[in-house]
Amino acid sequence: MSGIETVRIIVDAEREAARILQDAANKASEIRKRLDSRIREQHEEIVHRAKEEGSLLVREAEVKGKAEAAAYEKETEQRVRQALASASSKKEKAAAKVVELVLELKT
Amino acid sequence: MSETAKFTEDILGAAKRKAQAILAEAESETKKSLEEARTHSTREAEAIVASARAEAEGVKRRQLSEARHRVKLIEQQEKSKILSEVLQLGRSRVLEVTKNDSKYVPFLTGLMEAGIREIGLDAVVVHTNAADMKRIDKAKIERDLLKKLERPVKIEWAKEHIESSGGATISSPDGRTRIVSTLNERFDALEAKLLVEAGRILFGE
Repeated sequence: MSGIETVRIIVDAEREAARILQDAANKASEIRKRLDSRIREQHEEIVHRAKEEGSLLVREAEVKGKAEAAAYEKETEQRVRQALASASSKKEKAAAKVVELVLELKT
Repeated sequence: MSETAKFTEDILGAAKRKAQAILAEAESETKKSLEEARTHSTREAEAIVASARAEAEGVKRRQLSEARHRVKLIEQQEKSKILSEVLQLGRSRVLEVTKNDSKYVPFLTGLMEAGIREIGLDAVVVHTNAADMKRIDKAKIERDLLKKLERPVKIEWAKEHIESSGGATISSPDGRTRIVSTLNERFDALEAKLLVEAGRILFGE
């Protein structure tokens, strides 16, 4: 191998080495450039999942709340109806008390 | 291997190692940043879920509270209806009493006595409704009143009747001072007490 040939081979190798380094630098730059969008995507995904979970919680609470309210109304209405029926049966006694109070002259 | 080949291989090997290090550093930085961002986002997500949980509790509480309110309202309306019926029934019964002289006249006399005592004058005018004006024995009531009052009072009976279902109004002779002891007035004055007492009997309150 001649001296010139040897120099050419070395220059080519250095050129190839420079290209490899430049490629790596370009890829690293690309990775860094994509970071913001990856962070944004990750954030959106996490927040979206949380919002979905939150919406589900609220929807479930609405269903559960309605059921509990309906059960409460049913149970309480029954109790109120009984109390009112009991009160209705005492109307005569209460009216007698009204008459007594109106006709008594202490007040 | 020739010296030249070994030399070029060293150059390329070093370049490849350096390139790997450059990429590894970029990936490591990216990974670290993503993890930090994930921590922040997770905190935000936890706050969102916590807020939704509180909202969900609020929704449940509100629905139960609205149900309680609806039932309470119906209960109050029904109670009010029953109380009104009782007061109306009481009024009817009291009006029946006004037709029964043996019960009504002593009551009327008592009302007049209380009115005359309250007005505190030596001369009074007694006003009654048209029905009472016609049917009551004024002379007897006057005698009873004077006996009960135990002091001389000049009692005059008004010629004009008052609009009332019963009872009497006592006034000074000049009409400036009046003590209203009609049944209507008694019902009005006693309404709060009547509601409380009737409510106690009806609802145990």
